[in-house]
Amino acid sequence: MGRLVWRRFRRHPGALVGSVVLLIIIVSCLLAFLSPYDPLKSDITNRLQPPSLEHPFGTDALGRDLLTRVLYGGRISLLVGFMVVVITLLIGVPVGAIAGYYGGWVDDMLMRLIDSALALPSLMVLILLSAILREIDVPFLQRNNVFTIAFVIGILSWMTIARLVRAIFLTLREMEYATAARALGASNYRIIASEILPNGFGPIIVESTLEIGWAIMEESGLSFLGFGIQPPTPSWGNLLNDAVEHLVKHPWLAIFPGIFIFLTIISVNYIGDGLRDALDPYKILRQIDEI
Amino acid sequence: MLNYIIRRLLQAIPMLFLLSVLLFALVNVVPGGPLAGYGRTRRINPEKIEQLKRQFGLDKPLPVQYLVWLAGNDWMRIDADGDGVAESYGERRGILRGDFGFSFRSRKPVMEEIGDRFKNTVYLMSITLLVVALIAIPIGVISAIKQYSWFDITATTLSFMGQAIPEFWLGLILVLIFYTWLDNPVTGESLLPAGGMYTLGVDFSLLDRVRHLILPVTMGMVGWVAWYSRFLRSSMLEVIHQDYVRTARAKGQIERKVMLNHALKNALIPLVTLFALDFPYIFTGSIYVELIFSWPGMGRLFYDAAVHRDYPLLMGILVISAAFIIICNLLADLAYAYLDPRVRYD
Amino acid sequence: MTSAVIVIPQDPLGFNGLVADTGYEAMVGELVMLAVSEIDPDGNVYPELAVEIPTIENGGVVMDEDAWTMDVTWKLRDDVYWADGEQVTADDLIFTWEAITDPEMGIWVDGVDYTDSLEKVDDFTFIVHYNTVYTSYQTQFGGENFNVYPEHYCDPSQGFTAWDCNRQPLSDGPFILDEWVTGNYLTFSRNENYFEDGKPYIDQIIVRIVPEQSVRKTMMAEGDADMNMWLSEAEAQELSELGNVYVSNAPSERWVFRLIPNLVERGTTDPAGPVHPVLGDVQVRKAIRASVDSDTIINSVFLGYPKPVWTEFFRPPYICDIPRPEYNPEAAKAMLEDAGWSDTDSDGVRECHGCSTAEEGTLMEIELMTYGEYGEELELAHQLVGEMLGDIGFKINLSVIEGSVLWADYESGGLEQTGDFDLNLYDDGYPGIDPTDNQLWYYYYSAAAEPDYGWNVGRWSNADFDALLDEAYTLDEEYRKDLFCQMAEIMDAELPQILLWSAIAADAFSTQLEGGQSTTNDLPTWNVADWKITQ
Repeated sequence: MGRLVWRRFRRHPGALVGSVVLLIIIVSCLLAFLSPYDPLKSDITNRLQPPSLEHPFGTDALGRDLLTRVLYGGRISLLVGFMVVVITLLIGVPVGAIAGYYGGWVDDMLMRLIDSALALPSLMVLILLSAILREIDVPFLQRNNVFTIAFVIGILSWMTIARLVRAIFLTLREMEYATAARALGASNYRIIASEILPNGFGPIIVESTLEIGWAIMEESGLSFLGFGIQPPTPSWGNLLNDAVEHLVKHPWLAIFPGIFIFLTIISVNYIGDGLRDALDPYKILRQIDEI
Repeated sequence: MLNYIIRRLLQAIPMLFLLSVLLFALVNVVPGGPLAGYGRTRRINPEKIEQLKRQFGLDKPLPVQYLVWLAGNDWMRIDADGDGVAESYGERRGILRGDFGFSFRSRKPVMEEIGDRFKNTVYLMSITLLVVALIAIPIGVISAIKQYSWFDITATTLSFMGQAIPEFWLGLILVLIFYTWLDNPVTGESLLPAGGMYTLGVDFSLLDRVRHLILPVTMGMVGWVAWYSRFLRSSMLEVIHQDYVRTARAKGQIERKVMLNHALKNALIPLVTLFALDFPYIFTGSIYVELIFSWPGMGRLFYDAAVHRDYPLLMGILVISAAFIIICNLLADLAYAYLDPRVRYD
Repeated sequence: MTSAVIVIPQDPLGFNGLVADTGYEAMVGELVMLAVSEIDPDGNVYPELAVEIPTIENGGVVMDEDAWTMDVTWKLRDDVYWADGEQVTADDLIFTWEAITDPEMGIWVDGVDYTDSLEKVDDFTFIVHYNTVYTSYQTQFGGENFNVYPEHYCDPSQGFTAWDCNRQPLSDGPFILDEWVTGNYLTFSRNENYFEDGKPYIDQIIVRIVPEQSVRKTMMAEGDADMNMWLSEAEAQELSELGNVYVSNAPSERWVFRLIPNLVERGTTDPAGPVHPVLGDVQVRKAIRASVDSDTIINSVFLGYPKPVWTEFFRPPYICDIPRPEYNPEAAKAMLEDAGWSDTDSDGVRECHGCSTAEEGTLMEIELMTYGEYGEELELAHQLVGEMLGDIGFKINLSVIEGSVLWADYESGGLEQTGDFDLNLYDDGYPGIDPTDNQLWYYYYSAAAEPDYGWNVGRWSNADFDALLDEAYTLDEEYRKDLFCQMAEIMDAELPQILLWSAIAADAFSTQLEGGQSTTNDLPTWNVADWKITQ
């Protein structure tokens, strides 16, 4: 079935292009060390230069090469994106599994928890949480740490994954008790167990992928407001924050980091869309019917 | 049905209560305090700090502070002049009686601060949501009806783009283009203003209001339109493939009426619930839009309060926002149950 | 009808600068209310409600040399009236002071600890009895934030901090508040009964709330605004290029950017506590001073507006002749080597090898903090300073912290009060002209190191300095100046703070507004009664 999925994915033009673009971006960011410029070292005599051969993206207010900073910033933003997904899975999967598997009052309570978490005005709580965690010295959560930001965003994003996982485990429980499962006969039962259940994971994979884009967007926003990654460490969001002051006279400072955020998120979204199509249970079932 | 409503409302109350406790703890754990650098001269003195703490009620332990915030302290004796003897009654009535306390910074009642800004945010966000609905619904419907047509493909591509653009970046680019680069060919001034709700000093002018609304509404709506139109499209597609639509067609009604009557109504149901879930934004506003376009609304109020650790204001905004969200979620569920006859929760 | 438009980014939080001090309260306060005395841009105290400034020479100040106390007699003008016709009298001043110092509903101000009582002699005369010699007595009932409130109009039961007349003032100043639409504008009209004949010359003042900096600039360019205050360096540069705008610079500076080192171990609040492993050695502090290139920072990030400052006594009336420290990174490195900090493993960061304050092998690593609310210039300077220190062998961790966390009180976890910092960079300065209390005691006196008592957060303790400062509470100006300069030398030798450069103090006025003058001793509306609009 994996091969089926891959074939369907390949037929999705957006997903293919998106994968290529994302790969290019990731590789460029990883190769940022090849740049002759130091992203943190200032060069005062060259402040605020427009794009040129020497500095393809221009320089910022301290003379630092913007291309280098965008690439290093990409490392941070991408890392935060992936870490957020890991954290949401670490929190969401157990919560959803327990809720779905045990049902009853455990499920009720956990659903209340999820509802309460969803009732929080997210950006507001994000700001407060990051303000707290930036100052308090907790193990693992140090000031200005990538993990801290990812943790903060992750804490407010696990709910959807939890719900999806819960849905799977609810199906599992129903199957255990459904006499229809036995009435269907062993072979169909096996199809259901081996085809439908894994297809419950499909939405989770899609959701996780899309969350990368969402997390990068949140981190950029937080950093833009000044509550995320702090300078001089570049991140796409705080590069945009630096750019606001000079928007009128030196617009390239805002244009380039934003383009990178845009390209990354749109690629991730197309990949997610491709995965969604490829893993679509209806379409797979229909193909099984056709066999 | 009524049972359901009552049950959900009863469930909402303890949730709101618990949320308020959580938010109160959150706000008070944030390091720093409102007494910091009181003013530019940063005078400090333990007596003054004590006095301010007494005035703000910060000298009590946290659970007591929460109780006062909730139920007021006019039924308690407090020590107003710091001599260790609690001799007078407090003046706070608590949020249960509508008293949200006073902002630390401006000493104005929190409700007044919120009230001043609330209408501006509602003004902006309701227009934004209206525009979103007016644009997204037709796009979504047409995309679904004419699936895979050039319209659909263009719309889909645009909506992917719209969902990927960071809102704050879009705002900056809009300001760059329409304020800095483009000029009004007639007056030579900037084509659109860079911020504010209206031009100061002139009388009310609809054109002026619209000019000031164009950029912030555009910034806010792009992501929403992208999301809603796609959602509506897939929702419509799902409905179109349903059996009962085929049945309706078999009955011989004209195709277009079939679409509009059955498909649209049913496709809109999930959209309505989605809309209800986004409705709280009318109150909470968008911090990004308000910051970039200097809109004096709730988002900026929260941001300023957060930076200055203005606890009463923070709590007021957070709790009212959470209440709004809970109510809108409830309404969303109710709307869904009402509109979709197939769904009736027990 | 002539009118002047002032643009500011946010609403004032009232008319009372003592309760909320963003600066805009004082700015509008100057329009409607008067104080007993004020300070002009050159640092001279002049009388406003008072007839003259009491001094020893004119008999207004009587000192008791033995008990070391004094009494100051103020005579008020008898020709000042409130807008409702009532006369401004000593009762109003005494009423104001009592409301301010009310332990229940008041606030803390300068001088309250030194003042025993106020005694009314007649309707226009009162005596202040002090329990010591208070050197700032001349501006105790004046300066930028203090205003005299009307006894017959303000309701003391509401408390000084919350009474209605903070938002609906009764005017005795050049203008009267007409209308205040929050978030939008305030309008003021000429007070016909203002005590200075013929003044004010302008009929109407409009204060517009314009949060967007670019819009304020456009308004000045278009001639739609007449004053834009507290310019940043970039604003000042852009506005000075406009033909219809002039940028007024204050004759002296108030805010000075400085590095504040923690001289004791991080987390300690006792000046006698364990010494800071890196910054406890004065040689290290001297090396820091020698490695910061203030000129480059001034000319690049701050566009050339600030001046280098290296001692607290740099502005009139107290200027001490301390030689300017040299910018010499090589010498700084040599100082560090001498002090026992060398980089034996060639990783760019020095370790302690024979240093006097830390254990062998300790990394020369510190956190350099600043606060975010100033703006981009400070953040860039922060990064530059971090780089310069990194170049001589420090490992610098940069942090930008909110002011409400950095300067909170001890219990709230304020980073400075709890000693939870290494090296801080930000601007500071004292109001008025007398540094004795406001700057010297608060930042350098040993008793000010106690949490919540002062801002000697570096926990510096120098007995000679303390003794000199004790002596400085005297009205003998010559003697004081001499004491100050002796203190300046101690501060230059020990570097409890490393002063770097001053901050810009400039406001923009339209060319049709005559008389605008920036000042660091007050808000730019200090002389609004003298402004003229020439069409």
